Amino acid sequence: MEVRRLQNYINGEWVDSESKELEEVRNPAWDKLLCHVPMSTKAEVDRAVQASKDAFPEWRNIPPVTRCRYLQRLIELMEERFDELSRVQTTEHGKTIDESRGETRRAIEMVEVASGIPSLMQGFNLEDIAAGIDEYAIYQPLGVFCALAPFNFPFMVPLWFLPFAIACGNTFVVKPSPRTPMSQAELFSIFDEVGFPPGVVNLVNGAADVANHLMEHPDIQGVTFVGSTPVGRIVYRKCGETGKRVIAQCGAKNFLVIMPDAELDSSMASLMSSFFGNTGQRCLSGANALVVGDDAVYKRFVDKFVEAAANIRVGDGLDESVQMGPLQNVASKQRVAGVIERGVKEDAQLTLDGRKLNLVGDVPETCFLNPTVFENVTPDMSLAREEIFGPVASILRAKDLDEAIEIIHGNPYGNAGSIFTSSGKWARQFQHDVAVGNVGINIGIVAPMSFFPFGGRKDSFFGVTHGQGRDAIRFFTDPKVVIQRWF
Amino acid sequence: MKLNTMAAVMSFVSKVENESAQLYEDYARRYPKIGDIFSSFIKENKRFEKGIKQTYFGVITDTIEACYSFEGLDTDDYEFVINSNPSTPLANALQMALEIEDKIEKFYLKVAELSNSLMADIPIACTRVAKKRQDRKATLQSLLEKV
Repeated sequence: MEVRRLQNYINGEWVDSESKELEEVRNPAWDKLLCHVPMSTKAEVDRAVQASKDAFPEWRNIPPVTRCRYLQRLIELMEERFDELSRVQTTEHGKTIDESRGETRRAIEMVEVASGIPSLMQGFNLEDIAAGIDEYAIYQPLGVFCALAPFNFPFMVPLWFLPFAIACGNTFVVKPSPRTPMSQAELFSIFDEVGFPPGVVNLVNGAADVANHLMEHPDIQGVTFVGSTPVGRIVYRKCGETGKRVIAQCGAKNFLVIMPDAELDSSMASLMSSFFGNTGQRCLSGANALVVGDDAVYKRFVDKFVEAAANIRVGDGLDESVQMGPLQNVASKQRVAGVIERGVKEDAQLTLDGRKLNLVGDVPETCFLNPTVFENVTPDMSLAREEIFGPVASILRAKDLDEAIEIIHGNPYGNAGSIFTSSGKWARQFQHDVAVGNVGINIGIVAPMSFFPFGGRKDSFFGVTHGQGRDAIRFFTDPKVVIQRWF
Repeated sequence: MKLNTMAAVMSFVSKVENESAQLYEDYARRYPKIGDIFSSFIKENKRFEKGIKQTYFGVITDTIEACYSFEGLDTDDYEFVINSNPSTPLANALQMALEIEDKIEKFYLKVAELSNSLMADIPIACTRVAKKRQDRKATLQSLLEKV
């Protein structure tokens, strides 16, 4: 049987890439080939950018309220195909169907918020800055933007940016991850059905070469990137060199502080979701559980945590009884297994070894790991410092909240942090003092809703304004100030 | 069978609502004098299923713990067998419906309890349907007393 080869979507048409260079897209649960994705050429990138550039003048002149109607149609079609879109995500990524549905829902929410653009994009004014002279600021779109998307949320992440960009009157090019490009192909089939004017939205498949060419392209006004910190640094530097705006949301090592008065029974589902949801492959995952309190408090937490982690059902994400899917590919599995081995060599205590597989169904072991838990982890160990991007939890201890916050601040990342407590005082201190972009209070995954900015500090974020909500509107527009006097 | 995820709970919601609706379709045909009551139950079942699923699909996001909230909800406790013998007397049929509704009510209450760590919309929706089931049980009980 011939394997499907994904196409690019340029200037309102599906086109085959001229590239002979193809990569395989595999279902990680069953290790089966799903399709081939082309590594597009520079000429194809140029064509996509040119189409976007050509579409911009007309698109920006369409009234915002009319642009919204395209988004409203997009929402309708995404709702109609909700489960189909979710299943594609599970198929190419491996995550559970509940997780994919969550991803689809949040993606739709982004479009919903962006469709409020007639209100969101409004400027401001002041009469009589001097007698008879008025001043006002109007927010205008800039041109072509692009998204360099990660593999871990293949459907949602480009939509953190694209709806806001085009609602503002910009045009857009998406480069999906070559590991999980099918979700964007599905999304663009919906764009096609909506009937956006040609060139407003474009899709170019590829890897680093395509990303580099987009970053270097003189007609690209701004770049949005979600991925690792080392790559994010390159994106930030390149965009600085070429004078582009940039949002680079990067890696993370999130701490979850467990205070002695935490409601553990109510919080355990939240903790499991944080550490092991999406198989730990997300920048908002819990990585380090930082337990504050004496030995009894520590033991109470560890016993419950390890028992819950050991009971997580691992298998094919399309099986509704499964709670955690595989790693996205075999290289990820090998890398995470290597991290576990290194943790053992660092003298951390391997309390639950996810390399001992216990899988639901007869799936092959290729990409699977079960949840892993380390104890006796210290802040200086690589286990506690480096992003693992897999289902590995490290448990650390602190004598009080001050020390816990100090440990968090010693870590190079600052994406998210959570505290589990019944004390408003402790919660308030944590919220006030901790240097991270997203704070959870008795919440394990602090994923900001689409009408709030997605924060991030230190090595977790490079840029000024963030994605989503009003921050995204500021990123995708420029305030033009007008001062007027009439004689 | 144990249900471990919200997705599995949603599938079971469809199963119980559809199967009990089939029972009431049968009753509406068999007992035409009170057929309107059973027909209204069928419509309600569709509304219940739609309402619960709309709530789930409306609030499920990557923040919530849809895969981890259920340590195992045993469907054996809520499964029911429909006896569709056409010669069943009305009193027995009503008694069977009461028992089924009782199981379904308990199922929704258990889901509401176990989904407490999810966004509150889901337990609220389940509690609402459980309450409607109580009302339905009262209707069935009243019919039974008149037989």
